[in-house]
Amino acid sequence: MEQVINGKMNKKLLQKTLNYYFIYALVILITVGPVFYIISNILYEDDANEDLYAIKKQFDKFTKDDLTIMDITLWNKFNRDVNLEKFNGIQKDSLFDHSYYDALTKENEPFRVLNAPVKIEGKWFTFSAKINMVEKENLIGSTVILFISLLVLLIIGFFIITKIISKKLWQPFYAALDKMEQFEIDKSTSVKLIKNTTEEFNRLNSAIDSLIHKNSSIYQSQREFIENAAHELQTPIAIFKGKLENILQRNDLNSEQFKLIDDLNNTTTRLVKLNKNLLVLSKIDSNSYNEIEKINIKDIINNQLTFFNEQALSKKIDITTELSNEVEAKSNHFLAEMIISNLFLNTINHNVLNGQVIIKLTNHSITFANTGILIALQTEKMFERFSKSNPSSQGNGLGLSIIKKIADTNHWSVNYYFMDRMHKFEIVF
Amino acid sequence: MKILIIEDEIEIATSVINYLSSNDFLCESATTLKGAIEKIVLYSYDCILLDLMLTDGNGFKILEALKKQNKTDGVIIISAKDTLETKIEGLTLGADDYLTKPFHLSELLVRIQALVRRKQFNGKNVISFNEIEIDTISKSVKIKGMKIEFTKKEMDLLLFLIGNKNKVLSKSAIAEHLSGDMADMLDNHDFVYAHIKNMKKKLKEMGATDYLKSVYGTGYKWQDE
Repeated sequence: MEQVINGKMNKKLLQKTLNYYFIYALVILITVGPVFYIISNILYEDDANEDLYAIKKQFDKFTKDDLTIMDITLWNKFNRDVNLEKFNGIQKDSLFDHSYYDALTKENEPFRVLNAPVKIEGKWFTFSAKINMVEKENLIGSTVILFISLLVLLIIGFFIITKIISKKLWQPFYAALDKMEQFEIDKSTSVKLIKNTTEEFNRLNSAIDSLIHKNSSIYQSQREFIENAAHELQTPIAIFKGKLENILQRNDLNSEQFKLIDDLNNTTTRLVKLNKNLLVLSKIDSNSYNEIEKINIKDIINNQLTFFNEQALSKKIDITTELSNEVEAKSNHFLAEMIISNLFLNTINHNVLNGQVIIKLTNHSITFANTGILIALQTEKMFERFSKSNPSSQGNGLGLSIIKKIADTNHWSVNYYFMDRMHKFEIVF
Repeated sequence: MKILIIEDEIEIATSVINYLSSNDFLCESATTLKGAIEKIVLYSYDCILLDLMLTDGNGFKILEALKKQNKTDGVIIISAKDTLETKIEGLTLGADDYLTKPFHLSELLVRIQALVRRKQFNGKNVISFNEIEIDTISKSVKIKGMKIEFTKKEMDLLLFLIGNKNKVLSKSAIAEHLSGDMADMLDNHDFVYAHIKNMKKKLKEMGATDYLKSVYGTGYKWQDE
């Protein structure tokens, strides 16, 4: 699992970096390519010009004075690239490109040509020297090939370097990422991050560390607050309850007063229940129920069945059970009892007169189905504390969150369905 | 019968004393560990009600002190702590019963009665109320010497009512007594009606007087006419 996540992330980051590198390399090469071509062209031309002038210089220095008009034809015959031609009338040195048919390669070849006027025995001639140039198409072609291979080499290089970087340099980052993904505020208290030599990652690690530390301590103090508040409330509730019970014993109470006290009594009972449920929730949070054993779910259901049958009787609810053979699940015993009793209670409290409850236990799941209101419950806030589908109900909105909490603690899942006019809560072990 | 209430919360102690005093109990109270130890050294009690969190120490010290002096006073721990560990620790140290706060005074009363019965009568455990006789060991009920078939719940209910005779009991108190650990789960107490109805019917069939009076529709009172 980790590897997959890691690999996927690696690829993403690598891809992104590579994309930028590729675009950058492409832009550079596309702009540099023509410039390179133009510059090399100019340099090449300059070089050819210099060579041509050098030839001219040599001619002036060593040949010109000895040459006679009679010799010109002969001289021309033995010089392929340097010729003396009939004077063309141009008094200045001129340089130009010209194509000549090459009998050897049987194609036109580009030449750089220097024409200069020379005076031999008082008569003007045009000196013509030419140098074979590289064909333009060839130059472009080789430039393109050069640049493409450069691009390919760069991409391969980038790829390898990025891969090494992301493996080695980013390793602490992925380690931190993994740790954060695994972090659960209600379970772990701190996350061990690997120390490394990169300043940024150390900063990241210390930031994560302080964030987690801060959150954990806030969570911790909030949990402790709920637990302490619930605990501290017990004494005043006990006093209240005791006083009420004593008032109830007075002989001078009239019916109205008695009714008021009885209502207060019932409210106190609700308060006690609310308080106890809050305590249970915060105790599950603080991992107080950590002794895990193999639990026979069927036994737990059967043990509670008598009690809840009795409760169901007043609403004339019929409870049917379909329990498969001994099903064992791993849980804390108290929590297993708690989740089952809350499921039972849920099916009875939200049921209708002459309703029905069906409990079905299979090897991997248990389903409590009950009749009730004929529309499906809203699921998004269902398991939140104090969320009530029916605000006038006597319930405190903690039953389902206790069910969810216990299921989460045991790594079970809770599903809700509304099928065949019945609300179904399924716990999958 | 003499009862010692060791409780630093005076209001709770007062309520308990008020409730118990009218049932032939002689109640004394101590608010600190020190005061409580002085009292148990000097006197013997039929039952000691012990709060665990006292201002000057843990209530478990009382249990140790009793043990040291070989005293056999019955002890019921009344505490807001409801963890299994605390309960087990208390019972291992020699407490006889454990009641988690907040509790119904009527529940406390029957617990004290049961404890006193166990401690004093050594095997003979018959409670009688006029023509009704309940044997808490063989779990049988007799009316005018005739045995009557009672379910466990009905007998429990009868014991609770007789134990709290002349007291007005709310339906929630009866419900909580009958449902024990599951009491916290209850949303309504209508099932109490069914049990009371059945019990009354059986007693009537055997010719017993109807001692159970309904008080303003929602409460009950067991009363000799």
